[in-house]
Amino acid sequence: MRIEYNFAFFDEGSKREIRRATLKAIAIPGYQVPFASREMPIARGWGTGGLQLTLSLVGKPDILKVIDQGSDESVNAVNIKKLIAITTGVTVSDETAEATIIQSRHRIPEVPLQEGQILVLQVPLPEPLRYYEPSEYETKKLHAEQEYSGAWLMLFEQIMNYGTMSTGADHPVMVHGRYVMAPSPIPRFDNPKLNYSQALILLGAGREKKVYAVPPFTRVASLDFEDYPFGVESFQDKCCRLCGAQGVFMDEILDDVTGEPFYQCNDSSYCLQNLNGKSRG
Amino acid sequence: MKLDLVHDIQAAYRLTLDSMSRPGLISNISNQADKLNMEISCFGSTLVLVLMLFDTEVKFKVCSECEAETAKLINQLTYAKETEIESADYILVLKDAKPEDLEEVFRKAYPGDLLDPHKAATIIIETDYVSNDQNLTLTGPGIEKESYIDVKTNDHWVKLRAEKNTEYPLGIDLIFTDWYDNILCLPRTTQIAKRVIK
Repeated sequence: MRIEYNFAFFDEGSKREIRRATLKAIAIPGYQVPFASREMPIARGWGTGGLQLTLSLVGKPDILKVIDQGSDESVNAVNIKKLIAITTGVTVSDETAEATIIQSRHRIPEVPLQEGQILVLQVPLPEPLRYYEPSEYETKKLHAEQEYSGAWLMLFEQIMNYGTMSTGADHPVMVHGRYVMAPSPIPRFDNPKLNYSQALILLGAGREKKVYAVPPFTRVASLDFEDYPFGVESFQDKCCRLCGAQGVFMDEILDDVTGEPFYQCNDSSYCLQNLNGKSRG
Repeated sequence: MKLDLVHDIQAAYRLTLDSMSRPGLISNISNQADKLNMEISCFGSTLVLVLMLFDTEVKFKVCSECEAETAKLINQLTYAKETEIESADYILVLKDAKPEDLEEVFRKAYPGDLLDPHKAATIIIETDYVSNDQNLTLTGPGIEKESYIDVKTNDHWVKLRAEKNTEYPLGIDLIFTDWYDNILCLPRTTQIAKRVIK
C-alpha cells in the first residue's frame, strides 16, 4: 500500500502553529516558546523537535543536510533525511556550503555557516536550569525574573569539585544579555560559533515541546567567571589521521591492537571534503 | 493562477522568516500575493500573512473602515476569531485606518507577561511604502552593524513602539506591508533611532 503523504508530512495546521511559535522565538532570542509538539514517525527524543522545525521550513528549492554527531551517515541522520526527502522530494547533500537547511544533532559544522542558511539543532533538554529545579513552573519564573544564580552556582560547584568547569557539552550560554539558554549538547568547541553567527539558528525540543532561536548577529556568551574563563576543548598538537586537519573538533579513538589513541575529524563531510581536495591535487 | 496554500505559503513564510530574523531586510511576496483572486479591502501581502499564520487558535482584530466585512472574510477563510485589541494575538491596521486607531492599538495591544512573553501581540500595519532609505537606523539582534529603513506613514509609530517596548522581553512585534507587497519585520529586540545628518 502506498500512502500519499502531505508535502513535508505535516498538515498545514501543524505547520502554521510551528511557524507562529518560530516567529515569536526569533523575536525573543533564547526564550523557549512552547509549542504543540506532534507525534512523529520517530520516537520522541530522537530529533523530533528539529524534524518538526525542518518540516515547517522546507520547500521545493531547498537543499537539505542532516548530521548526527558530525556524521552524515549515522542511523538517525539517514532516517530523518529519508523521511524529509520522501515526503518533499528535496535534494539532499552532504556538503555544508551548498545546503540551505542543515538539521544537526550535537554539532555545528566546521565549515562556517553563511547568510541564507538555517541551522536546526535537535535539543533533548532545552531547560538549562532543570539540573537544579525540577518544576517547569519554577524555571519559567526563574527565567521571568532573570534569576540565574543557580546556573552560576552549578558552574561554581564544578570548579570547587574538579578545579575547572566540567561541562562536556551543553555549556549554558547567555543570549542577548537576557536569557540563559541550553545550546543543545554541542561540545564547548562549538559554543563560540553561536556568537554573531551569519546564519539563523533554530532549536527544537520535541519531547519537551519547546522551540527557541538565535537570530543572526546575536550576542551569545558562554557562562564563565573572570578568574575561570570559558575554554573550548583543546586539540593542540593533534591532527586528523585521515585528512591531516588541525584546529577542528576531533574524536579520540583507541587502536584495537596497540591501545594507542588516534584522532579523526568529527565532522565527516568536512574530512571527506579535505580528502577529495587532496586527491584532486 | 490560484494561490497554492502549501507551496506559496511556504515560500512566503521563508521570506517572512528572513525578514523577522534580519530586521531591516525587506522581502517582496508579490509572487504569492498576485495569485490571490478575491476581492478584499487589504493588501495582498497582508492576506498572505493572514493565510500563513491564522487558524482556529488565533484571535485577531482588524482596524479599518471596512472592519466588519474584512473580519468576517478572515474568519470565513481561516476560522480565526475576532476579538478586542487587548486580547488579540494579531492586530491588522489596514491602510484606511485612522491615525488614532494606530495609537490606540499601540496603547492597548498585549505586550505579554514575564512568564509568557511569547503571548504578546503581533501588529501587521499597512503603509504606503517601505524602503531602505536612510531615515531610521536599526540596531539589535539580526543586524550586523546597522540597517536603515523608511516607512511611509503619517503616524508617530516609532515613539509609540518605543514606549510600548521599554521593558524587554515584554513588547510587541511589528510587520509592515505596503502597496508593492513588500514586508518589513521589526521584532521587539530592534532598537530604532532617527537618523541625524551631521
